[in-house]
Amino acid sequence: MTEKKVTMRVFGMTCDDCVRTVTDGLEKQGADVLSISLSNGIAIVKIDDAKISAENLIKAPVFGEESHYKAQLRRVE
Amino acid sequence: MIQEYDLVIIGRGAAAFSAAIRTSEITSNQASIAMIGFGPIGGTCVNVGCVPSKYIIEAAKVVSTQRNPRYPGIKQSDPVVEFGKLMESLRGAVEEERKSKYEDVLKFYPNITMYEGRASIISRDTVKVTSKLGEEDIKGYNFIIATGSSPMIPKIEGLEDTGYLTSDSVWSLNELPGEIGILGGGFVGLEIGQALHRLGSSVRIIKKHDTISRGIEREVGSELIRALENDGISFLIGRDVEKVYQRGDKKIISTRYKGKIEEIEVDEILIASGRKPNVAGLSPENAGIEYSDKGIKVNDDFSTSNPLIYAAGDVVDQKYRLETLSAREGAIIASNIFNHSSKGINLQEVPWAIFTEPQLASVGYTEDEYNRNFGKAVVRTIPLVMVPKARILREDIGLFKIVADEDTGKIVGIHVLAPYAAEFIIEAVIAIKNGYTYNDIIENSHIFPTVAEGIKLTSQSFTRDMTKMSCCVE
Ligand SMILES: Cc1cc2nc3c(=O)[nH]c(=O)nc-3n(C[C@H](O)[C@H](O)[C@H](O)COP(=O)(O)OP(=O)(O)OC[C@H]3O[C@@H](n4cnc5c(N)ncnc54)[C@H](O)[C@@H]3O)c2cc1C
Repeated sequence: MTEKKVTMRVFGMTCDDCVRTVTDGLEKQGADVLSISLSNGIAIVKIDDAKISAENLIKAPVFGEESHYKAQLRRVE
Repeated sequence: MIQEYDLVIIGRGAAAFSAAIRTSEITSNQASIAMIGFGPIGGTCVNVGCVPSKYIIEAAKVVSTQRNPRYPGIKQSDPVVEFGKLMESLRGAVEEERKSKYEDVLKFYPNITMYEGRASIISRDTVKVTSKLGEEDIKGYNFIIATGSSPMIPKIEGLEDTGYLTSDSVWSLNELPGEIGILGGGFVGLEIGQALHRLGSSVRIIKKHDTISRGIEREVGSELIRALENDGISFLIGRDVEKVYQRGDKKIISTRYKGKIEEIEVDEILIASGRKPNVAGLSPENAGIEYSDKGIKVNDDFSTSNPLIYAAGDVVDQKYRLETLSAREGAIIASNIFNHSSKGINLQEVPWAIFTEPQLASVGYTEDEYNRNFGKAVVRTIPLVMVPKARILREDIGLFKIVADEDTGKIVGIHVLAPYAAEFIIEAVIAIKNGYTYNDIIENSHIFPTVAEGIKLTSQSFTRDMTKMSCCVE
């Protein structure tokens, strides 16, 4: 297991419900959500790199083409 | 502190706006976007390209129909052209279009910040913007290069001293040149040339080759030259321009023709020798981006050789330079970046047109291209006069050509020279995109009488002898 801290920019969140939907979507991929800020769209999560890579996490269904939310990686540590 | 953006777009023309707006839509206006550019907002198309050229073409058509009424019994008249007033209205139309479609649109996108100035790439994530006010560095997580293209000025002795017009400067004319020599005869030269001719200039198009440009179906190109000659434009083919100079108030274009010097005296010179991508001073190499004098090299998804930087529009090394293509590329890139996808555009499904009268519109492979690539084209060509509507319009120069795959009958190219061709080439686009055969085209009812019916008639000619058909046979 390689634990990584991933900082991402999430676009499209406008209310607390959105934050919940995105949190659920990330958790479904096995990510541990440390924080999500509605004001600046920054999400910080912990992942097990052996299970899901940071690159695949931002392609999760919650950020899919039909979804209202989009994500981009900002830092992987 | 250096400003940092989710997306930095270099350029502010069709490709740039399309990318910025699509990004804003996808990200609910939350992606911060920097758009860098100089010159009038909106770039080539609205300011010095599509909009003014189509405006002057339509105005010139009005003059031409009055001067040459097509129907017996309608008296010919010579309209007075107040060229200065016409050009003033053209510039007004451009301004209005720029305001409503570019400047005003920005109000809906508070996430877009405009930077006035010239950008040069410093590194993978930084550009320098240079303006009268000084220099500023901007950082970005994503980049799109959409710097467009400019008229290519050939190296001809004396050209700079003698002075010339290009498609950038011709719109500020207030007096119609009496005699105009157009160097090069690509679509820009033909469109502006025919418009100026119809407004009263004597137009000579001076070219080396007898074709319009590479990639045009030969028969259609030669028929267009015939149509323009018939309209009154002179084509001086086989000329190498050696130098240009001023003699009194005339400009002399000195050419070599069949080994001898031939001098052509004009009042104005219009350069229409194609366009070059705007890469000068941009330094794409600083971010590892490959490019040549044809433009920036891109992959199918419009990423450059630096996979994190994309390029769209006229600056790209690609077959066509079109507003619609630039805008689609901008939108697709926005989606590729923010949806993590890798979509592209099949250029064989992209139509293009020359807005002369008659219009040339084309999509897909030419006969030669298909044979070269796949070795099995089957083609049919019908003259425009076979189309009943064209006879009603009393138009006799033009043709329809369909290129199909010999084995499957699937249409791979349609090339048309006809009135309104640009308006109906979309049928050909849909046919090619969906893999239709000529039989599929025949099975769709077309409106009678329309010029567009020519596509159906050409399809029918694959299986039937058109000379034996009554006008309404399905
Ligand atoms: C006379 C004429 C008629 C045309 N008619 C048609 C037509 O009828 N239909 C059609 O589809 N197409 C037509 N076109 C083509 C069409 O105009 C172009 O394909 C289209 O405008 C290209 O858009 P673009 O966004 O790639 O570039 P542009 O619109 O040229 O925009 C480029 C932008 O980049 C900026 N820029 C350049 N270098 C830098 C730099 N270093 N830093 C910052 N900014 C920079 C420029 O200031 C400009 O804002 C015509 C073109 C011409 C010339």
